[in-house]
Parts: sequence; C-alpha cells; structure tokens
Amino acid sequence: MSIASMKSHLAHWREWELNPIVIKELRQAVRSWAVTGMLLLFLLVLFIASLGFLITNTFDNDANLQLGAGLFTTFLVILTISSVFFIPLYVGIRVAAERQENNPDLLYVSTLSPFRIIFGKFLCGAYMAILFFSACMPFMAFTNLLRGVDLPTVFFILSFLFLVVCAANMVAIFLACLPLSRPFKFLFILYGIGQSITLIVPLMYLSFRMMESGIGAMMARREIWIGVITDVGLILAVIGLFFTLAVALISPQSSNRALPVRLYVTIIWLLGGVASLIWVIQTKNGYLMLSWTYSTFILMMLSLLVVVSNVDRLSLRVRRTIPASAIKRIPAFFFFNGAAGGLLWIAGILTVTYFTARWVIHVYPPTIAVEENRHWFVTTAAYAFDYSLTALFIQRKYLSKRPSKMAGILAVFLAALWAIFPTIVLFFLNQLSWKSVEGLELGNVFNLFVQHDERERRLHQLFALGWLLLAMLINAPWFVRQMKNFRPLARISSEAAPPVLN
Amino acid sequence: MKVQVKNLRKEFGRTLAVDNISFSFDSGHVFGFVGPNGAGKTTTMRIISTIEEPTDGDVLLNGISVCEEPELARRTVGYVPDTLPQHGDITVHEYLDFFARAYGLKGKKRTAAVEAIEEFTNVAGIREKHLKALSKGMKQRVSLGRALVYDPDVLVLDEPAAGLDPRARVELRELLMLLAERKKAILISSHILTELTEICNGVVIIERGKILETGTIDEVLKKSTPRRTVAVRVLDTRNNELIKELLQTPFVENAREVTNEIHFEFAGDEAAASEVLSALVTKKFKIIEFRQTRANLEDIFMNVTKGGVQ
Repeated sequence: MSIASMKSHLAHWREWELNPIVIKELRQAVRSWAVTGMLLLFLLVLFIASLGFLITNTFDNDANLQLGAGLFTTFLVILTISSVFFIPLYVGIRVAAERQENNPDLLYVSTLSPFRIIFGKFLCGAYMAILFFSACMPFMAFTNLLRGVDLPTVFFILSFLFLVVCAANMVAIFLACLPLSRPFKFLFILYGIGQSITLIVPLMYLSFRMMESGIGAMMARREIWIGVITDVGLILAVIGLFFTLAVALISPQSSNRALPVRLYVTIIWLLGGVASLIWVIQTKNGYLMLSWTYSTFILMMLSLLVVVSNVDRLSLRVRRTIPASAIKRIPAFFFFNGAAGGLLWIAGILTVTYFTARWVIHVYPPTIAVEENRHWFVTTAAYAFDYSLTALFIQRKYLSKRPSKMAGILAVFLAALWAIFPTIVLFFLNQLSWKSVEGLELGNVFNLFVQHDERERRLHQLFALGWLLLAMLINAPWFVRQMKNFRPLARISSEAAPPVLN
Repeated sequence: MKVQVKNLRKEFGRTLAVDNISFSFDSGHVFGFVGPNGAGKTTTMRIISTIEEPTDGDVLLNGISVCEEPELARRTVGYVPDTLPQHGDITVHEYLDFFARAYGLKGKKRTAAVEAIEEFTNVAGIREKHLKALSKGMKQRVSLGRALVYDPDVLVLDEPAAGLDPRARVELRELLMLLAERKKAILISSHILTELTEICNGVVIIERGKILETGTIDEVLKKSTPRRTVAVRVLDTRNNELIKELLQTPFVENAREVTNEIHFEFAGDEAAASEVLSALVTKKFKIIEFRQTRANLEDIFMNVTKGGVQ
C-alpha cells in the first residue's frame, strides 16, 4: 500500500467495514451447533467446577488462603483444554471443507485478496477465542476475591494463553489449506488433535509456574520483560510464518507464490540473527547464537523440499512481472517462483548463517563446547543438497512428464532408502546384529550422528561435498537454462485481435 | 464492453484442453458456447473468469488482460459455474450480501445493490431461507444473483439450464434476454441447443479444444447448410406428379415424399422460392402449406462435431 493510498484509507475511516470473511464466518458460527453446544458445555463445566470447589471447601475448618489460586487453576485447565483443542479444530475443519470444493464457492476468485481471506479466517478464530475467554472471565475475576491469585497474574496468563490459541489457529488454517485429498486431510486432523494434546501439557505447566511465581508482582523486573518480548516475538514470528504460507497456498497457481514466503523468511531470519547477536553481545556468550543457527537450519531444510518441487516453467503472469533491468532481475531470481532461484536462496542463507555463527563463536567463545556442531551443519546441509539435487536431476531428466512435486518426494525417498536399505542388509549379513550399523555408512545422513570419531566424520564430510560437486555438475545445464529463461515476456499485440461479433 | 479471446491454449499435464482458439463478442449480445462433453468449454469459461490461467494466449476484457491483471479483470466478469451454492447455514440474503461486500460494495450502496438483485432474480420472497432448503431452479437464480450483484459487464454462464424444469428454463431465458438488453456481454454454454438458438446472437462450436464454427447464428447456419429444405403439403393426392414437376424446376434437388408432405432441397434465394410457389399454383396444384425448414443449431452441431473428447 502506497503512502497516498494509506492516507486516503485513513481519511475515509467512516467507511471502514469489517472483513467480509469475518462477518460470514461469525454468522455461520452463531448458527453452528458445534460452537453453541461447545460454549454451553464450557459454561456448564465452569459452573459445576466452581460449585463443587466451593462446596467442598466450605466444610474445611481452616481458612484456605490459596482457595483463589486453586479455583483459578481449575478454570485455567478447563479453558486451556477447550480453547487449544476446540477452536483450532473448528477453524481448521471449516477452512478444509471450503477448500475441498472444486469451485470453492468462488470465494477464492472474488476480489478479496488471499491475504484478506486468510486474515479473515484468522480473525474469526481470534474472535471465537475472545468469546470463550470472555465467558470464562467472570469466573476467573471471582477467584481474585477468594485470595491466592492477583489480577495482573490472571491477565498475564490469559494474554499468553490467548496468543498461543491464536498461533494454534494459524497452524490449523495452514494445515487446512494444504492441497490434500480428503483421507490425508482426515489424517492431518488426527495429527492436529495429537499436537493440541502435546501442546496443552507444557502450556499448563508454564501457566502454573507463572502463577506460582506470582508473575504479576515481578513485572517491574527487566529480565521478565526481556523473556516476555522474546516469547511473544517468537510466537508472532510463527504466526506470521504460517500466515504467509497459508496465503501462498490459496493464491492462484499462476501468481508469484514464492515471493512473499521467501521475503518473509528472509526478514525473520535477519531479525532473528540481529536479536541473537545483541543477546550474545549482552551476555558475552556465543552459545546463544546457536538457537538462531538451528532454527535457520531446520527452516531451510524444509524449504529445500518445497523449492526442488517448484515448477520450472513460470506462469505468464509471473513472467510478465520479471524486471527488465538486469540489476533488478538478479535479486528477483532469488525470490521469484522456480527451483533454481530457490536453491540459490537457500544456499545463500545457509552460507551466511554458518559463517556468521562461526565468526560470533570465534569472537565470543561459548561457555559450552560447540565444535561438534560445525561438522554436522556442513555435512548435513551438503547431504540435504545432494539428495535434493539428485532427485531434481532424476525428475527433470527421466520423469519430466510427471509433476515437479515428485522431486521433493523423491529426495525424501532417496534419503530414506539410503538410510534403511544398507542398514537392513548389514543387519542380516552380520548375524542379526545391530553392531555393524554403527560403522561408517557413507551417504547415510543419519549415520553421521552416531559417529564420534573425527576421521569418520571427516570422511562423511568429504563424501557429501564430493557428491555435491557431482550433483551440481550434472544439474548445471538445467540451471543455466533456468537463468536464461528468467526474462520478461513480450506482450501480445492488440493488432492480432479476432473480429468482434456485433 | 468487448471480450476478446486470443490464441487461447490450455494444457493439463499431457492433455490439451484448449487448442489455440480465438473469438470475440460484444456487449448487448448473448453468445452461445456449444460443444460435446470434454470439448474445453468449461476450461475456456474458467479462463475468461480468471479462475484458471492459460498456458498460452490471453483474454482481454475491454483491453484488461486476465493474465496480467486478473484482479482488475475479475471486477468486470461474473461467473455462474455449473455447480450450485451448497451452504447449509447461510440465508439467501446473507449469501448475496457477503459477495457484495467481497466485491467492495459499501454501506447503502451495498444494501441497494443486494435488494435490487433480489428483485431482479425474483428471490426477494425467499431471502431469509437457507440455501440448503432451495430448489435447483431457485439455487440457480441465487447463483446468477451472486454473479450480478456487483454489476459486471460480462456474464459467463456454464450450463445454467441443466436440470431446470421447463418453467425455470423459460424464466432463466427471459432473465438473460433482459440482461442482454442491459448491455451485458453474455457467454453461455448449454446442451439444450434449441434454447440457445432462441436467445443467442452468435455461437462458437468447439470440439477437442478447437473451434469448428463461429459467427452469428445466421452465418453459421448458412455456412453449415447452404441449401434449405422446403416442405410442401397439397390437398389432392398428386404427390408423384408434384415430385416430377419439382425435379424439373431450377435450384431444386432431392424431392421426396415424407409423411404426406413433399420435401425438397432448394439452393435458390427467397425470390426464387416464391417463383417456385407461383409456378406450382399456376399448374393447379392445391397447395395448403409451403414452408422452409432450415436446419437448426442441433442439426449443425450433429453435422460438424464428431463426439470426440481429449
């Protein structure tokens, strides 16, 4: 949005309207038996819990100074289970059902942008969370009257929980947007339910710790706020990442889906790097740089599978937006759709991450030994590129009639095959003993992690780099072709128009 | 509003759905899109409506490219798919209101637009009903209303008459005629070809992704069947004599008796046909009916298509 259009938007604030998706979704939610039923059940459970708690404590002869805290804990358990479990499930199923249609009711081809559609779905989830939280709020405020918990702690814990519910909603929306068939979507629902359960336990633990420590009373301390800002920043970054991915998934195939995702990842990677560096400088401990290095590594490995699955042939729409100037075209190559540019983008980020981390660790020696990490970073990254580039070569050369997403699947298949097959053969050859598996298996990326000998690790590294060189050489003609094809498209002349019927 | 389909080509993997087709039509006209199942009609319509992107070629809606500016092009085109709205938990009014909002209509303008479209498509009486509870004909009206609520200049209808009862079909036809009068450019596909002949000004016949015939209905009819068939019914029983007489007349061929009538193929113009009639009357044949039976769209469709799909 340009500054002029933003000014105009602000000037016409009287005409602002809610996102149409939010209105539609909330209208449907109000009529939904699932939402109404769940809300009524939620209120009933809260009521029964508070009644039961008060009745049992009335017969206690001693004054219970922690009665409020106990009751608050009960309410918190009920709220966490219902909001982390039910709301993302409801939001995710609704999006998945809409995406399942062949003509998704033309929602996705109206003038609503994919950004507004996903934002609307996200806001709907947030409103639903507010509905559940506000239903619980009078009960929780009541606990303050019973002593044992202070209001700032109540609000702090609820705000934190709300943020987590929003993040869970966003992940559910992303999973629902994945272009999968009905059985796979059902499996993802089961996965989502499993993840919600695994999320509830640490969340409850963290909330209890916050309550026990009386976080409301510690808010004047600087460390608390550093921790809060870091956690909130991380949760917001996760929400942003899944939001960008969901927007890309529902954008038309012809659009430049890669651009916003790669830009977003690059920005959070840069911000994360700067934040980690500041943290290292403050504490004089290079070890803290590793959390950024690890998360970048994981993100790039996942990106690698997506990038090799990109199509080679850019859509007309994307080709028409390729900058004509060579100076602008070079950075555009990294960020636009296409496997070749994506591979360069990942290689660039991994290289910068590796050397930055090495430099920081050299300047600020860590308190814990991190030398081992250097080996696996280079070797694992090289292996990941080996599998991906080999799969890419096989797909482009021998399976070119098949969809390009085969390359990603093939890369995983190659890695799994090389890890499992020799292991099974060795197991049988060595009289059903797993001992031999611990030996050197060049090409098996998982074998690297069981090697403790420096020489064997070095051999793994040399093998991975040698294979990488070979993979780069065999893919070089394809890569050069992709670079040459990355040019803006000439427009169709209007002179060739067919005669008009009138 | 001018719609120009230029060298359009669409591949789905190894399947060539649309093979380099070009045609165009203007506002105020209803353009029929005819072809067997799997001919590439829906794909072409989805490209015009910016749902799909072509592999090659382009569609210009008053100069706006659906490839380059799909968001802008989308504002000028209303698409009625062959599937009907299925929402169970939303009323007709809410459904139309949602799409009015989605297309950026605000405040009183939106309220007025939704009410006008409810009146126009005759769904005002059922505006508070849930979509699930509607008949197929009513759902089709709601679907049309959805496509019209933001007043697009181009309307693309994919099999809108499929499954409708005769009354609903007549009503739909009347609605389309009204829309054409309102200067909308309408592209409609249908398998009910007799209906298309009645409402369409022009037609494109497509098979295996290629255009077989295109032009105004008259042009296509003339091109496909240059000879017209004339039927003559006489009061007396001199049919053999009449056939002999006709075969000696210029422009007449293949005269034969068909269920108490004499049918012959005539290559002459209207004046020549009139002279044939005068000559027969002069020769004392008691003619009670003399009519031209030109081939309709259905005959042409059967002649030019082979029934193949990709």
